Amino acid sequence: MKATRTTLLLLVPATAAFVLLLAFPLFNIVNESFKLFVPGRVGSAEDAPYTLQNYSELLLPAYFNYYFTTFRLGFLASVIALAIGFPMAYVVARMRWELGRKLSIGFLIALMFLSVLVRVYSLELTFGSVGVLRPVLRFLDISQNDRTYTEWVVIAGLLHYIIPMSALTLVGTIQNVNPRLAEAAMSLGAARWKAHLTVTVPLSIRGILSAFLISYTLCISAFVVPMVLGKGRVLFVSNLIYNRFSEIANYPGGSSLSVMLLVVSLLIVYLISRISIRRWEGG
Amino acid sequence: MAKRHGDDIALCLVALVLACTLIFLVVPIIISAGMSFDARPYLAPFPPPDLSLQWYERFFSDPYMLRGLRTSLVLAFTATCVSTAIGTVTAFVIDRYEFRGKEVMTAFFLSPLVVPGVVVGFALLLFLSFVGVFDGFARLLAGHVIITIPYTIRTTLAGLVGIPPSLSEAALSLGATERQAFWDITFPLAKTGIVAGAVFAFAFSMDDVAVSMFLTDPTTYTLPVALISMMRANFDLSIAAAALLLIGVTLALILVLDRVVGLDKVIGQGIYRG
Repeated sequence: MKATRTTLLLLVPATAAFVLLLAFPLFNIVNESFKLFVPGRVGSAEDAPYTLQNYSELLLPAYFNYYFTTFRLGFLASVIALAIGFPMAYVVARMRWELGRKLSIGFLIALMFLSVLVRVYSLELTFGSVGVLRPVLRFLDISQNDRTYTEWVVIAGLLHYIIPMSALTLVGTIQNVNPRLAEAAMSLGAARWKAHLTVTVPLSIRGILSAFLISYTLCISAFVVPMVLGKGRVLFVSNLIYNRFSEIANYPGGSSLSVMLLVVSLLIVYLISRISIRRWEGG
Repeated sequence: MAKRHGDDIALCLVALVLACTLIFLVVPIIISAGMSFDARPYLAPFPPPDLSLQWYERFFSDPYMLRGLRTSLVLAFTATCVSTAIGTVTAFVIDRYEFRGKEVMTAFFLSPLVVPGVVVGFALLLFLSFVGVFDGFARLLAGHVIITIPYTIRTTLAGLVGIPPSLSEAALSLGATERQAFWDITFPLAKTGIVAGAVFAFAFSMDDVAVSMFLTDPTTYTLPVALISMMRANFDLSIAAAALLLIGVTLALILVLDRVVGLDKVIGQGIYRG
């Protein structure tokens, strides 16, 4: 139906909310990110001169550590989540037993809905300093103060959310892959694992890419998981932004970091969606 | 023979990985649920030798936590109502009408899904201080509405797609007004999508930390923010009690979702971020 003027009026509340609560604030931090910050103040002065200093600061070697940690741990977690989520989704998607299928899906949804606080607290009680795993770790001679160990605990925190998420995303994908195709490969002599690797996986590649994309954007903007499980040693860019705000009230510095994180997130979403469309729709 | 052998190994490996994953996903939660009933007055290794409800008593007698819980519930309820109302109307217009810039507008409405929560919180904080909004609840509500609207629009859209427009067109040609056609035909059919969206909105509002951290004030803060600051100070077991409470909220929401939509159907809908 063609929209009349009255029907378009119905879009006013949403548009107003988005312009006021999203577009303006984002433009405002872009503006703020170019303002000169004088240490000791809260935020920038109203008549502060414009400068590129906040962006040149982003290139300081001290910051690279944060970027590297964020993008590397996020990548590792997303890849692991796919490697585990795919077979998991396969089992659920091909389950013949109706009740079992329903329960599995319910279980995965419940895990996704679980509060992030419950996750980090539970993982800390398991992997942390009073954790159940403590004797095991001592036996294996793994120090809990070790940076690598802390990094893996952070990855575990990310995985706890993105494994069920990837699995759920992929259930829908695998349901749309015809099981006869893999069976044909097997009856022509391919081993089962090879049939899945060469038939089922390529046929679900778009679902796999989108699961990866969702996981990765979630991971690089993670905030609570590194804040609690990283114990101040493993910090993500989000935590850095929060510290700029809460500890030294450097709003311009926090703004330039926010703009960077936002641009990177949008770029990843854009790039991967482009790649997946071009490669698999022949466009 | 070699073929079957390789298959057996691969199958065992996959089964092993999946079993470990299930343990990893479930056991920590069981541990913290168990620890919340610990009778020892301090945090000590699992399993607790005696059971008691002392941590629950402590949680429910802590005015700081109760205040957070109350704010969270009121906030989640208000934000859900606002987002569901706005989301339903918006999704209805997007689904039923053609207008210029529709694609751009839809992308814009779903965009908070890819904007990191910390960025939303930080940007809103600066902007709201700039325009002079200092009331804690108003600021939190603004943040929660903007992060939950995409979910309500998405799930409502997914619910509307399945309804043939011919139904409301038939009502219109039989003399119903647009408003009647909406309330008598489209709305009842779209109800499942709308309720699912509301459930998602409530869940995400109850769970948010990244946005809320920036928008709280000393007297208005949400339960997750209170729990986080407690977690950073000491790892008191009344957090475990709160965790079990939050698990209860999650399960209740899942049950609502199953009753209204059916968990099977959720798979085809927009529960995925991004």
